[in-house]
Formats: sequence, C-alpha cells, structure tokens
Amino acid sequence: MNRNKSQSPIREWFISQALNHSKRTIIISILLTLVIGSGLRFLVMDDDMMKMLPNDLDSKITWDAIQDEFGSTDIIFIAFGFEGQSIFSPKALADLWALSEELNASPSIKDVANISTGTRIDQIDGFMEIDDLQPSQNLSQKDINKIIKYLNKNPNQKNQLVSRNGEYFLTIVQPYDEIGLDQFRNAVVTIGDATLEGYEIHYGGTAYITGSIPKLIREDIQTLVKVGMLIMVAILLLNLRNLSAVGMVMMVIISSLIAMMGFMGWAYRLTGSDKFLFAILNTSMPIILLTIANSDGVHVITKFFREMRKEKDVRNAVASSMESLLTPIFLTSLTTIAAFLTMTSSPLEPLVGYGVSISVGIAWAWLMSSLMLPSVISLKKWDKQSKAIIDASPFEKLISRIATIVIKYPKYVFGIGVLLVFIGFSGLYKITVDVNLASFFKPGTEIRDSMDFMDDEMSGTLDLRVRVEGDVKDPELLQKIESLQGFIKEKDNVVVTYSIADIVKQMHRTVMNDNINYEFIPEEREKVNNLFTMYSMSGDPGDFSSLVDYDYSSALITALSTVISTEDVFSFVEETKKYIDDHFNTYGKVDVTGVIVVLRDMVVLVIQSSILSILISLVLIGVIAGLFFNRLLWGLLAVVPLTGAVVLNFGFMGHFSITLNHITAILSSIIIGVGVDFAIHFISQFRNLSNYTAPEKLSYDVIQDVGYPIILDAGSNMGFGALLFSAFIPVQYIGGLMVFAMLSTSLGTLILLASLTELLKYHLVENEN
Amino acid sequence: MKIKILIIFIYPFILVAQSGMEIASMLDKKPAPDNLVNNIRMILTNSKGKSRINTMMSKSINKNKKQIIWFLEPKDDRGVSFLKIEHDDRDDAMRMWLPAFKKVRRISAKKKGDAFMGSDLSFEDLSSRELINNNYSRLEDGMLDNQSCYVLETIPKKVARSSYSKHISWIDKNTINLLKEHSYNKRGELKKEKDFHYDIISNYQILKRVFVKDVLDQHTTEVIFSEIKIDVELNENLFHEKNLKRIPRE
Repeated sequence: MNRNKSQSPIREWFISQALNHSKRTIIISILLTLVIGSGLRFLVMDDDMMKMLPNDLDSKITWDAIQDEFGSTDIIFIAFGFEGQSIFSPKALADLWALSEELNASPSIKDVANISTGTRIDQIDGFMEIDDLQPSQNLSQKDINKIIKYLNKNPNQKNQLVSRNGEYFLTIVQPYDEIGLDQFRNAVVTIGDATLEGYEIHYGGTAYITGSIPKLIREDIQTLVKVGMLIMVAILLLNLRNLSAVGMVMMVIISSLIAMMGFMGWAYRLTGSDKFLFAILNTSMPIILLTIANSDGVHVITKFFREMRKEKDVRNAVASSMESLLTPIFLTSLTTIAAFLTMTSSPLEPLVGYGVSISVGIAWAWLMSSLMLPSVISLKKWDKQSKAIIDASPFEKLISRIATIVIKYPKYVFGIGVLLVFIGFSGLYKITVDVNLASFFKPGTEIRDSMDFMDDEMSGTLDLRVRVEGDVKDPELLQKIESLQGFIKEKDNVVVTYSIADIVKQMHRTVMNDNINYEFIPEEREKVNNLFTMYSMSGDPGDFSSLVDYDYSSALITALSTVISTEDVFSFVEETKKYIDDHFNTYGKVDVTGVIVVLRDMVVLVIQSSILSILISLVLIGVIAGLFFNRLLWGLLAVVPLTGAVVLNFGFMGHFSITLNHITAILSSIIIGVGVDFAIHFISQFRNLSNYTAPEKLSYDVIQDVGYPIILDAGSNMGFGALLFSAFIPVQYIGGLMVFAMLSTSLGTLILLASLTELLKYHLVENEN
Repeated sequence: MKIKILIIFIYPFILVAQSGMEIASMLDKKPAPDNLVNNIRMILTNSKGKSRINTMMSKSINKNKKQIIWFLEPKDDRGVSFLKIEHDDRDDAMRMWLPAFKKVRRISAKKKGDAFMGSDLSFEDLSSRELINNNYSRLEDGMLDNQSCYVLETIPKKVARSSYSKHISWIDKNTINLLKEHSYNKRGELKKEKDFHYDIISNYQILKRVFVKDVLDQHTTEVIFSEIKIDVELNENLFHEKNLKRIPRE
C-alpha cells in the first residue's frame, strides 16, 4: 500500500529513514549510543560540598587559601573504645600506637594526630621542652597517669584527643592533597577495622562522609534504576498490553540513559570541570530521564496503535503516527531541554552539569523516538487483531469521563483548579531551607550515626575557620585572636576552639616555671618571639603549620561545633562577622569560612537557584511555545498548568515541612521540564483539530485524543516513585513530590488548560483560522 | 693455571682497597682546624617557596667540641644565643639565652632527631658520628661532578639511637671530603638529600656551603659559611653561660 508523502521535507526525511532504511537506522543508532556511552568509564562520583560552590564565592576563596596555607582540612576522625569504660589502659594505648604506625605507612595518608603522635610541652630546668606525649608503645600505669595528668592540665588538647567522658581515643587523619577522598576513606577504614578489632569503632569527619558517599551513590543508582524500570514496565504492560511494545519503549529509555551517563563521563574527562562530577543530587538523573524518555516512546506507541485501528497497515500507521508526532515530540523535547538548561544559570556547580547532561539524554531520547523506534516498529510483524490494537485501555476509558466533565462544567473545573493553586500558594511562605548533610540521612544509617557520635562524644561535625592576616607575633593581635575565640566559644553548640594564641599561652606558662598565673599572652613582642625560638630548638617545624603560616603573617582560628539549625547558622555567622568588624578593623584582612559559613552560603545559593530556575524556564517555555505556535497567547496558556503545578508542589513542601536544599532545588526544573510536554501535546492537537472540528466538540476531541497518552505518560512516570527507595532523604522527597507533580501537571493540563481553552474556544479558534 | 693468574692480578687491589670502616675512619680523622670563627647564614624554604633567613656568628674550639652561637638576624631573634659543650661520657650540655625573659635555659639533647632552629638539620645531623655506633659497608665506587668517589653505606646501631635507618655517602677519593649524602628514615624512605661544598683555607678543606632537602616535606635548608677564620686564638672562658648575654663585636 502506498503512503502519502509528508508536506514537510524534514518530517519526510525522518519517516523515510524509519521506513525505507530501517536496519541501517537501527545499526547507526546503536553504534552512536555505544560511542557516547563509552564515556561511562570516565564518570567520577564525588559529593564534596566545596566543589559545588562557585569559585568566586568569598567563603570558597578563603577555604582554598586555608587549604593551601594550613594544609587540608578534609580529615577523618577515628574514635575507638568502649561505652562506659575508661580508655586509658596499656592495651588501648599500645593499639593506638599500632594504629598510628599502620596509618603512617599508607601512601594515601599525610598526617596522623593522636596521643601516640602528639607532643607535650614541659618545663624542665626552666627550659621549655617538647617531647612525645606517648613515649613508647608499651606503657606502665605510671606513664599513663603522666599522660592523663598532662591532658587534664591542657583541656583544649584533651578535647581534640579524647572523647568527652574519656571512653574513646580520637585519631585525626589527614590525606595528601592529590588523593581522592573515597580512596582516602577506604584506606583509613581498612586499616582502622584491621588494627582495632574488638573495639567499638566510629569514623567521622567531612572526608569520611564525602568519601563514603560515592559507594552509597553507586548502590542507590542500582536500586533506583531497577525499581524505576520495574514500576514503569508494570504500568506500561498494564496499559499497552503488548510485551514487544513495552520492550521498544524500554529500548529508547536504555539508549538515552547510556548516552546521558556516557556524555557526563566524556564531559568530565574532556573539561575536568567539577560541574560534571556525579554527586548525591545527580542520583535522581537516571530516574528523571527514564520517565522523560518513556514519555516520548509512549506517545509514539499509543499513537501507532490508534493509527493501526484505522489504517490496518504497519507502514502507513507508522507514517501517519510520525507525521502527527514528529513536531510535538521535537517541541516537547526542546522545551524540556530549555527547562533543564535553565539550571546552567545556577550558581551551584553540579546543577550546571546536571542540566547539560540530562539535556543530552533528552535529545537522545528524541532522536531514538523519532528514528530508531519507528524503524523497529516498522520491522515488527504486528498482530492486527491483538487486544492492544483493537481494545481501548483502562486509561482511555477514564479520559472520556474527564472530557465530559470539563465540557459540561468548564467554569467549575477551572475554579477548582484555581482554588487548589491558592491552597498551594498559602504554603509557599512556610518553606524552610536546610542544606545540612545530617538531615540527608535517617537515624540508624551509618553516616547519620557517625555524625551523631561526633556530636555527642567528640568535638562535633561542623567547623568555622577564621583566617587572620597580620603580624602573628604581635601580642595585641594574639590577644584579639584570643578574645574572638572566647566570643565564638560562648555559642551554645561550639565544643572547642583553638589557635596559635592557645599555644603561646601554654608556652608562656611552661617557661614561667609552669605557673598557671602566666597562662596569658605576654605583653612584649620579644617574649612571644623568644617562645617560638625556644620551641624551635626541640619541637618539629611543622607542629604549628595548621595554626600559623610559615612567615607568621597569617593565623587560623578553628572552632568545632555540633549540628546547628539553618536559622542559627545565619545568626552565628552574622554575629561572628560583626564582632570581627568591630574588633579587627585596625588589622589586615580577616576572612571567615568553614562548613558553617558554607552552609549559610548554600542556603542563599539554593534559594537564588530555585527562583532563577523557575522564572527563566517559565519565560523561556512561554516564548518558545509562543514562537512555535505563532501566537503569544499559546505561550501564556502553555505555562498556566506548569505555574499551577510549581506553586502546588512548593506549597505542598511548605505545608508538609519538606525542606528545600540543593537536591530538592532541582524540582522546579523537573516539574516544568516534564510537565510542559503535556501542555505542548494538548495545544498542538487543539490547533490541529481546530481546522476540521466544530468548536463545541473541539475540547472534547482534544482531551479524547491527547488525554490518554498524557494520563498514560503521567501514569508510567510513577516510575518517579522509585526515588522513594533512595538512601538519601531529599531524593526520597523528590520521588514523592514528583509523583504529586505528575498528577498536578497532567491534571493541570486536562483541567486548568482544558477548561481555559474551553472557555476561550471561540476566541482561540477564530484566530487560528 | 687460569685461577692462579687471576689471583696474581687482583691481589694488589685486594690489598689497597679500603673497607667501609676504613673509609669512615679516614673521614673521621680528616685534618680539621682546632678553632673556628665564622658567620652562618641559614636560608629555610618551605614547599610553597616561602623563606626565612637567619644570620648567626659562631665561635668554636677543640674541633667544635665547644661552640657558641649568637643570633644576629632576623631582628626578632637578635640577642638569642646558644652554647654547646660536647662530652664523651655523657649527654652534651646545651644552653640558650633568651633576652626577652632575661634567662639562660638548658636544652635537652635527648631527642637527637629534633630539628635545629626549624631547619632540615637535626641535632644528629650536626653532631659527628661515633665510629663504633655504626656499621659501614663500601658500595661500588661512583663519579660525582667528575670526582671519583667512595660510596659508603652507614647503618646506625641501636646504641646510636638514631632517627635514621641508613645513610649513603659519596666521599671524594682525593680530598676525603663528604660531597653528598642520602639519609633514609626508619621506614626506609629517602628523607634527606645533603650536598656539601668546600673551600681550601690554610690547607684545610673547610665547609663553605651545605644544602639539605627534606624530600618528604619538600623543605630545604641552605647554610652558607662566610668570614671564616681558622685557628684564631679563642679563650676557653668564652664558652661560658655569662658570655651568651652579649654579642661580641667581632
């Protein structure tokens, strides 16, 4: 049977490739997918919060300067002991010694700090002498008592080496700069587990958490993709009722997934940019692409089945399906890409890589749905009498009911839609932002337990670093540093602060016959200098390298704190900055950074990112739709259901106390990117049918025609529900919210947009014709 | 027959070839001035290229058994001084004068591996090695800067309480000057590379410059000796605590 040629040369080319060169098209598609997919081996998983920040951010600049001047602050804490028992025993100290030896032998580890590697400053014959805190591996009780006595005399040092109740020894491990944190984490855990067998062991610190996350991400992706595929296959099978058709949709999905992940690997390999690192927030990418790619495939397959009912010929059914779908699929892909590309405006680095990579995946899904899928369909021998082709599916029956209600009560339907949006609106002001990593993990999980332990027993998981430029041997500056430490220490959650001022005070006391009355900063610069000179006669030159730079021109103050709420983070940072402005104005530059400041900056960036993303994507989609349909009104109508869905979703978050963070910040782009497809298909078909359908019947026919693929698409997009199985709480939220978003965008199209077009049908039809 | 000829040919070489201990002994017995006065400029540079410079005046007698050092620069350290008296039968006595505290303090010599003034030279590096406290092996001879050298491996015995596991030294065969040394830490890793340069003054091979690189920490120390005076008259009374308090005019 001869088919009618398309009027558009581009459409005709696509249809011809699918029908006349089916095998060639399939082979080329597979080969291209494999080439781009080969980049998978370059994919790097890393969730270092610092790498998410823009390079020109003040706290990032200071952070990098501190890493450069004072060494890496990416450290792992190892704590071992037994709850309820004193850790000071000959065996525990011997094991601590062995642990240090093993760790020091590792090529990944630069420095190990604990009692066995620590130094003590004593006064012997009036001279300040630096000696090992633990003189040998095997100690007598007398030796141990000497250590305990020394630590009790120096509580600041004790806080860094022993747990609050004296039940655990603490070891701080620092990596070489060039070592990956996952490699570092694995080295430390392997040595720790092997050396400290029989003890209760706890690991913590930013490097441990960041280093543990790649493994969690890998496991998470595997689980999510499996569950997502399972949900999707089940929904598709239920509705398409044809195994081959489901297989064909899955083929499009899998090709797009391979292309997207491969592209990300290639992009990282070729640019070396942190934007293309695979972080926690990227774990939602495969599931999101899965649903978008599914959407394209579902539209092609369902249209093909409907055409087969009419045409009874595979080639003609494919040709007419593609004739009607090539443009909307292209347009929906374009608008979805536009929505995701707005993420490139985000100040957060991984969101940029997310937007670009998923856009490539979406483009691949479009290519596969427009070329490979029709080629495969045309090669298959279809049973024209199969139920899938002859019978309407359960979703198709549901659509008839919706269409009838919308046509009968357009004003009420529109009113209900608007009311729902207003309810959502009232939740917007309740949204809170929380970017603290602790809230990403449930209590009972390895990482959350580690963080809780660090907070309860050790010095906490958050840090604040103040870098002070100036003459560090100047007593006045040292006194300012000391008073700033005092100010910071007054904050509720701060456990310990330390700086070079503490060492100067300790040295002064020691040299003045260990008299506690001399534990203050000497008033003369010469004395401060003599103390350092004396120290250099028996201390290691690197002992102060984490506190003061080589030429004593900048010092570092460190404060460690337990988890602080996001609200408190803001007041903490602001009060500290104000104190610095008031007290350090006559000195050089004073910069504040650390995880606490980064958390505050992240909150600001997340809010900025979300607002920017929503505004840009809505405007962009409105403009694209307006231009494509040659009418501004269509552009406006296209964003109506999306705006409603975004407001509803964020309102939902506010009402149900779901916090906004750098992971849930991508929601708006996903909602708009995925939801826009429904509006585009609806408008495209409305314009199509308006040419030969009476206005009274127009909305009903449009809903009948596109309602089914929209509902099927939204239904199969329940694959988003797979995200509920994620190990990361924000990703679980995304899963739940996306299920809700699918309902709100699809029903938004079939209720808000459909009732609006029904109310405006004469105006719209008149202008179309 | 062939074996006999071979023995005849190599016999003279066996006779004249020094053992490791003999080379170490030659190095130890090398002629050195009794008294020495010089200025020392010490440049410390860290891995990021930042430097600290110290200038000192040193006077020593009895082949460096007694030494007194006054710090001249930087300004902060001017007036700090250091007295060392080596004893054969007990630990060395070391005293330091701290002008700001107006106190003389004793420095313990028990940690030989400690760095001297934040440099890459430890007290152990600055002290001469006791021959009986080390095992010496001669390695294959080598060339260094066109000089034919003995290559000597030194392994400290336990009694030496060394912070090193071994040293490899290049010794000029003609002058018996130590030209280069690699020192390995207890883990067997190369820790320090040391280069030595000499001048001939009054028929003595006098150390002019030492360059030490800590390979693991990427830190370097350059020590330059200037205004060297040999066998000048120095009073034994100079090497007393009371003289630490005042920098001599010359």
